Amino acid sequence: MRYLIKNGSIIDPSQRVATIGDVLIEDGKVVQIYDMTQLAMEPLPVMEDLEVINARGCVVAPGFTDLHTHLREPGEEHKETIASAVLAAARGGFTTLCAMPDTNPAQDNAAAVRSLRQISKRTSPIQIEVIGAITMNREGKQLTEYAELVEAGCIAFSDADRSVADPAIMRHALSYAAMLGVPIMSHCEETRLNKGWAMHEGAVSMRLGLPGSPSAAEEVQVARDIALAELTGAHLHISHISTAGSVALVRAAKARGVHVTAEVTPHHLTLSDQWVLGSLAPEPKEEAESKAGKRGRRKDQGLGLNSWLNPRLLLPYDPSTRVNPPLRSESDVAALIEGLRDGTIDAIATDHSPHALADKEVEYGQAACGISGLETALGLVLTLVHRGEMDLVEMVARLTEGPASVLGRSPASLRSGSRADIVIFDPERPWKVDPNTFASQGRNTPLQGQQLKGQVMLTMAGGKIVYRRGAFGKGTGALHSPTRIDGIFREEEN
Amino acid sequence: MDLHKHVLDLDTMTRDEIEDIFDVAESMKEVLSRDIKQVPALRGKNVVNMFYEESTRTRISFEMAARALSATVVNFSAKGSSVEKGESLVDTVRTIQSLGADVIILRHKESGAPYLAAQHFRGSIINGGDGRHAHPTQALLDMFTMRERFGRVEGLKVVIVGDILHSRVARSNLWGLTKLGAEVILCAPPTLLGPAAFWRETWPQVQIRDTLDSCIAGADVIMALRLQRERQQSGLLPSLREYSRIYGLDSNRLARANKNALIMHPGPMNVGIEITPEVATSAQSVIEEQVTNGVAVRMALLYRLAGSAE
Repeated sequence: MRYLIKNGSIIDPSQRVATIGDVLIEDGKVVQIYDMTQLAMEPLPVMEDLEVINARGCVVAPGFTDLHTHLREPGEEHKETIASAVLAAARGGFTTLCAMPDTNPAQDNAAAVRSLRQISKRTSPIQIEVIGAITMNREGKQLTEYAELVEAGCIAFSDADRSVADPAIMRHALSYAAMLGVPIMSHCEETRLNKGWAMHEGAVSMRLGLPGSPSAAEEVQVARDIALAELTGAHLHISHISTAGSVALVRAAKARGVHVTAEVTPHHLTLSDQWVLGSLAPEPKEEAESKAGKRGRRKDQGLGLNSWLNPRLLLPYDPSTRVNPPLRSESDVAALIEGLRDGTIDAIATDHSPHALADKEVEYGQAACGISGLETALGLVLTLVHRGEMDLVEMVARLTEGPASVLGRSPASLRSGSRADIVIFDPERPWKVDPNTFASQGRNTPLQGQQLKGQVMLTMAGGKIVYRRGAFGKGTGALHSPTRIDGIFREEEN
Repeated sequence: MDLHKHVLDLDTMTRDEIEDIFDVAESMKEVLSRDIKQVPALRGKNVVNMFYEESTRTRISFEMAARALSATVVNFSAKGSSVEKGESLVDTVRTIQSLGADVIILRHKESGAPYLAAQHFRGSIINGGDGRHAHPTQALLDMFTMRERFGRVEGLKVVIVGDILHSRVARSNLWGLTKLGAEVILCAPPTLLGPAAFWRETWPQVQIRDTLDSCIAGADVIMALRLQRERQQSGLLPSLREYSRIYGLDSNRLARANKNALIMHPGPMNVGIEITPEVATSAQSVIEEQVTNGVAVRMALLYRLAGSAE
């Protein structure tokens, strides 16, 4: 089967390509990119067994890689299964997921890793990579068998949502991982500094009387782990960086040559602790935004006022805003955007954390932490592009090239001969978030009812269409109502 | 959800609404002074006291208030209920609703719990104290007591001293007092206050001091908060003795406040730690009057809510 993706805006950070043209795919691989000038001089020959996908007005890019997904299978299938996570990923434009080891049993032994990889290979059309646990049962006490885990296919180590409390254990983990050339992904949280926390410590937590987790609880461990990476020469990766102080620490460490990388989530880039106030939050600053526009920031005219993210759609104390690390202050959000722009932060990672309703429909401080993020990731980060805070090509790079570089591999690419992992998205298409339509079993999102702009239209993994919105790309591009996506999977598997 | 159908905090209340409640509370107080302390305003209404945390005065006060309005009162405490079998707050609220509750008084150890309950209840929720967040009826009765004594709240210099960080009473009083135009001074050791900037962002007018001696001169009201002994065990204080020396309200300090300054305490007191027995029982202490006024203020709130639901 051949596909020709026609007239798309092709963005391929791996080749520094941004052009309008066609992409030809054959036998699961990219054959070639043809740009407009090329096509004008020499039209493509007529080919048989070819489906033309009309991508006019859409961005065609390598598929996204998520460094941080909680799969929940095995062990918590009531929250998510591999099958539902994969569907959610495909809807979000992701063609590679890195699974966190906090399954039950944990990914702390080769047998568990092999089994998870086999199930994934058999059932998932997109690539699932496994992150091994840093310590047995993620208890922070005894290192797992790194060599055997790497042999079984682990691409990195992390204790998922737990920090390694003992600095000596962390030092040994880094040393040992350095020998094998894989990163340690660190969840930085000094839990003795934030006992009983419910949200970010700041003016909002003070007002709401919720116990706070200070930025320092993250920063002391970021500082500690950077010192340990320096000591051991290992590759330290900071998971879901969330504070201005952490960004400054990573920036300084990179400048003096420490092997440290960092990821940030779409929600930490766009939402702040004001979201816990919900309807008690001040009105969004429309006036201020247009002033910013005059100062030189490009303001997107098409993005009506309704489409700005608005915390006031939520009630106060909405548990969907509870996440670890917590949504930080607005100045932290600004520092994260700056860090993403200047390359201090290498990658965007979703920290997709699906939960069942019963885990969330409880008192705020008791609610499970996490946001179901795969399906809203692109729409959220594109708000930064629409506000003129980040360039579209750079943003695509942070979803493709960035995560690949953290894993030390060549990035997903549209180069000739590459595996055809491709996403096509319409950066201008407005849509309203409705968790009831999520493919993920996790409906936990603070974004319900928010207007986003930018939506994935088609995702291809290994040359197969794994997600298609409606009849996208067929005919001249007229869109019909979306079909059921599991139907598309079946069609493709036949 | 219409926040106005409930009393969850004073943050969304206007000055006029607060003054209205005080006016109604005054007539309720008159009812309470009669021989037959009951009016039929809430006959046929069901008020449920849902208490997830122990309480003596608040629960009894609400119960007396509801009975004085002829409502049917049912007391529910988490202890010994299906909550101990793991029933969630939302399910319990739904059950209480199906049983016919019109008003729920909710006391809960988690900040924000009343907002969750309100989403799943068609009647009205009155916050009887949630975590560190709010205790709106306490703040209303405190301010009502001040108004009764001084004829106004505006312009009064009110010192709140003690464990501000963990205090829902302090937060609700901050909202109410600043709305009514009082001058509010928070006084606490830094470990029981947190960064001053965090308070100023929400309440820009508030003053913050770290010794009681530095703010007592000229005070019209001194409100001492309960200091839980666990605060010392968790390392927030070197010793109760040192706390008492700097923040304890004793006769010497009281002598430097205004002559007619009022001493208030939301109770229960740790006599000998935040307040000496002499001060607590002095002529300037209105601690018992606060309790009496609590019934009248709660009657006023119940009357407004249940009455307006018709």
